[in-house]
Amino acid sequence: MTLADRIRDEGARLAAACTACGACVRACPMTAYVPAAMADISLTAFGMRDLLTGGVGNAPGLAWVAVCARSGVCSDACPEHLDAAFLLRLAQMRAKGALDEAPRIPVKEDTGFSARVKAFARLTLTEGEQAEWL
Amino acid sequence: MAMNSTPDAIFWYGCNMTRHGEVIRASARILEAVGVAAAPRGGPAACCGSPKDANARINGGMARRTVQAFNGSGAAAVITWCPSCHMNMQDSMAPVTPTNFETQHITEALWARRAVLAPLLTQAVPARVLVHGHLGFQGRVPINDLVPALLRLIPGVTVLDHPYRAPGHMCSALAGVPGALADCHRALLAVAEENRLDTLVTIFHSCHREAVALERHGLRVMNWIHLLAAAMGLPAEDAYKTWRNAQDARAAIGDERLTQAGETAFARLVEPELGQPPVV
Repeated sequence: MTLADRIRDEGARLAAACTACGACVRACPMTAYVPAAMADISLTAFGMRDLLTGGVGNAPGLAWVAVCARSGVCSDACPEHLDAAFLLRLAQMRAKGALDEAPRIPVKEDTGFSARVKAFARLTLTEGEQAEWL
Repeated sequence: MAMNSTPDAIFWYGCNMTRHGEVIRASARILEAVGVAAAPRGGPAACCGSPKDANARINGGMARRTVQAFNGSGAAAVITWCPSCHMNMQDSMAPVTPTNFETQHITEALWARRAVLAPLLTQAVPARVLVHGHLGFQGRVPINDLVPALLRLIPGVTVLDHPYRAPGHMCSALAGVPGALADCHRALLAVAEENRLDTLVTIFHSCHREAVALERHGLRVMNWIHLLAAAMGLPAEDAYKTWRNAQDARAAIGDERLTQAGETAFARLVEPELGQPPVV
């Protein structure tokens, strides 16, 4: 199995179980930053669910998925007892184009990530620690 | 602790923790003191893959390499620090690449050994603290309960029970959402002021690197490991905090360390971060 398989398989499984009722949207603290997501919570949930199976989603669903910060309260709110937080994470990965699809939300990738981590290591770790711990 | 001998455990500190080398060092020493020989491992070569969330092929390759290295170490346990790493191990790494180790968060490892830990906390650390909790990750590991419980083992520490929890699982997740991190910091300052607290205690590294700027508001900011280390008499100077709040970061870091980092890398990768204005 690959990560792509996992994203595809779990996305399909969770999408099939999700009723797009919107309970996860209603519970989410991040909707304070995307008011459009709250206009019609079922539409927002529908758009998010659509992403899980490779669909294009919709504007409120994409806006909501883009601000997911992994608060996890959606899982407690789900009446189907789904791991909604994982479901959101998969939807966000699909929306970013993880499966070689066109990104549907902005991808903020830090291209200097690895070099920055190593630069800080040179500042805070001894040479011996860098050799053993990195 | 080298990986060429079989450790009891790996202390998987993640990637961005290299800003806080003293926390890695102190964590490993505290684990060792309670009987867990844990070899620190992290950085890009031991990445969970999440920095490449937009590309499953690269993300999955990084994650597989990390699991295979941990499997090959012979360690029976991987003790995590970062909530992203921990959740990714459970959600997507182990299901894709089977593991031969158990995964446990450092707070769980220390709490399970609290009978050994408590007598080692001999130095009083006078502090009235607010623990900076988030909503996320609590469902996996009861982090918002475990950190206050560990801090209450320290003589002199008073921990306020307060219901405020920031959204997300740590502050790096909020930093990309306009207004979210500023709202979090304003809320933390308000709670500290209302309750006359003197110390904000961060749980995670990404929260710490953002929150240290709150010292400019007169609120001391420490990570929970700094407090445990102080109580045990272990050195754990928070260099990042000093650099982040210095008028002149270069002067605070000093020529020797700047040379170690490399001028080009420092100017391009480190200095812009240290010079960022606070969010509040």
